[in-house]
Amino acid sequence: MSAKDFLQKLSEATGISGYEHSVRELMVEAFRPYTDEISVTPAGNVIAIKRGTRDPKSKTPAPKVLIEGHMDEIGLMVTDIERGLLRFTQVGGFDVRVLLAQEVIVHGKQPLRGIIGSRPPHVLTDAEREKVIPMPDLFVDVGVPEDKVRDLVSIGDPITLARQMISLKGNLVAGKAFDDRCALVSVVEALKHLATLKHSWDVYAVANVQEEVGLYGAMTSTFKINPDVAIALDVSHADQPNSTEVNAVPLGDGMGLAMGPNIHPLVHKKLIEVANANEIPFKVTAYAGATGTNAWAMQVVQAGIPTGLIDIPLRYMHTSVETLNLNDLERIGRLMALFCAALDEKFFKELRGDQIESEKENPKKGREGGRRRKKAKR
Amino acid sequence: MIAEAYGPSGHEHIIREVIRDEIKSLADEVRVDALGNLIAHRKAVGATPRKKVMLAAHMDEIGVMVTHIDEKGFLRFASLGGVFANTLVGHRCRFENGIIGAFGQEKKNSSRTETQLDKMFIDIGARDGKNSPINVGDAAGFWREFTDLGDRMIAKTMDDRIGCAVLIETLRQLKKSPHEIFAVFTVQEEVGVRGATTSAFGVQPDVAIAIDVTDTGDTPESNTMAVALGKGPAIKVKDSGMLAHRGVKTALITAAQENKIPYQLEVLTGGSTDAMAMQVSREGVPAGVVSIPTRYVHTPSEMVDFDDAQNAVKLLVAFLGKPIKLD
Repeated sequence: MSAKDFLQKLSEATGISGYEHSVRELMVEAFRPYTDEISVTPAGNVIAIKRGTRDPKSKTPAPKVLIEGHMDEIGLMVTDIERGLLRFTQVGGFDVRVLLAQEVIVHGKQPLRGIIGSRPPHVLTDAEREKVIPMPDLFVDVGVPEDKVRDLVSIGDPITLARQMISLKGNLVAGKAFDDRCALVSVVEALKHLATLKHSWDVYAVANVQEEVGLYGAMTSTFKINPDVAIALDVSHADQPNSTEVNAVPLGDGMGLAMGPNIHPLVHKKLIEVANANEIPFKVTAYAGATGTNAWAMQVVQAGIPTGLIDIPLRYMHTSVETLNLNDLERIGRLMALFCAALDEKFFKELRGDQIESEKENPKKGREGGRRRKKAKR
Repeated sequence: MIAEAYGPSGHEHIIREVIRDEIKSLADEVRVDALGNLIAHRKAVGATPRKKVMLAAHMDEIGVMVTHIDEKGFLRFASLGGVFANTLVGHRCRFENGIIGAFGQEKKNSSRTETQLDKMFIDIGARDGKNSPINVGDAAGFWREFTDLGDRMIAKTMDDRIGCAVLIETLRQLKKSPHEIFAVFTVQEEVGVRGATTSAFGVQPDVAIAIDVTDTGDTPESNTMAVALGKGPAIKVKDSGMLAHRGVKTALITAAQENKIPYQLEVLTGGSTDAMAMQVSREGVPAGVVSIPTRYVHTPSEMVDFDDAQNAVKLLVAFLGKPIKLD
């Protein structure tokens, strides 16, 4: 399947945070041809392993690199039923300005088409017309009378936006849930490339749940894998009129390679090295604190994980018309594959360098450190 | 009795002993971990497949902590957990040593409609600040007696002593379970689900259920919320800290339906529970919540319906009595 077709399939699948099951099925299917083992964690994360070509005589197990994207999309949830209309809250952070007049699917006993309505402009005061309509004043209408609605819809049923992906000119596409399913397209692209490359590290391709509600999926899958390097792939704001230039990456011209306290400097350096060696365009993006991505959660799992972050340029984030350039996704996939293949024993030692140094300086402390590492490893 | 016991977050040693006395004959083993969580372990009965189920109700209550004692003996304080200033005026608090104080506010800097914690103080009736029986760092809980209104009950600490009571009663009524059960009475929920974080790491459960209070939408001019007192325990779908695991939620609904136990579905837009910490423990734990609908949460007068609490016990007993399927 082409990257475009796969993105369309993922984008049009429905799965708000905590309800990612249909996307999960697509991911298991997509990972299968390119990986050796696939498992699903209790939280619902998909973990696929592509084993590296490490010397079988080697006594230590191969180091692990994790690359991930998240499966969940932001959505809505029924909170109450009032005169046949559905009140709702949100799961994750929608751009509330664009909710009015959206078409939606209510995932009740059966999927129900609906629309988001509010009071018409004619009856609003001038002051009300100036304002964004707050969520408690919006409702979903599925066109079913009150007595029937209660049979079909329960409190807590998820609601997703109904939106089909469309192609724009210049290899651009627009649709919902590109955040962050487009990253999963790049992860699969990376696995396809990797099939033609030699890599000594084990590669863990992960599709995580529940990023939008608190990075919960990544916390738990990373704990299970305990990788030596972890790379998050997530969307960031593309350059557009009226955008601030800070961290904005042009659409169709590569990606952002994030830097900041969330990012391990050696991982960042390696990503740049590999990109430069293969003439893959990028821009360095700077985050002084939390990156708002799974990288932030993964970094502090277990004894700490060297983390990297790839920014995928995207316009109109958290709306139903998120827009991206397909070339970027393919490029990111290629960079990820080349990065995984470039990870060697030397880089592993470099990452661990500080620990080895301290062992030399202080043998006693070093022995303790060594023991701890061994235990943490497996 | 457990509703009136002293136990602000971080100071659960008294309530812990009260609960320990209640449960020691109901469990195979009772222990206290490093943070102070009280963990009652009940072994599984019968053949496999069994699951390790962690049930959590928190012992701590919201309260205040003394930050400064002035020369006249008035105590300035900070909140322990989510204390709303406007609920304190006219109320009292009680310290571990039994001393009771009244909440007062600066008259010049406060209005009747707007109250701020930093413009308030506690008056313990001292003539001056010398030899105060209270020290900086001492914690107090609200002080109100438990009141039985017949069908409904009011107490200062329904959050979450009603959950503790439901959990104790569940252990009492659950004669045998195919599952290994860890009933955990957690500390420090109100200051960031800290007790559940460590106890879940220690217990390593396969499934986790928190028992806690939830808000209602059944009072005059209330916010929209489809939960009411007296319509049964609420099975959580979502709150502001977590989404209940779909399989756990469905298993609880099935248990209620099969046993004709009334229940409600809950989407809470403010607040969360111990389940939020348990679900992200280690590799992740499927987690859900059985909630007791409660009016006036985080005030000194929290109200619950007795039938809701009893039906919560029935629901948990039904859920734990059978194999748990998580699809």
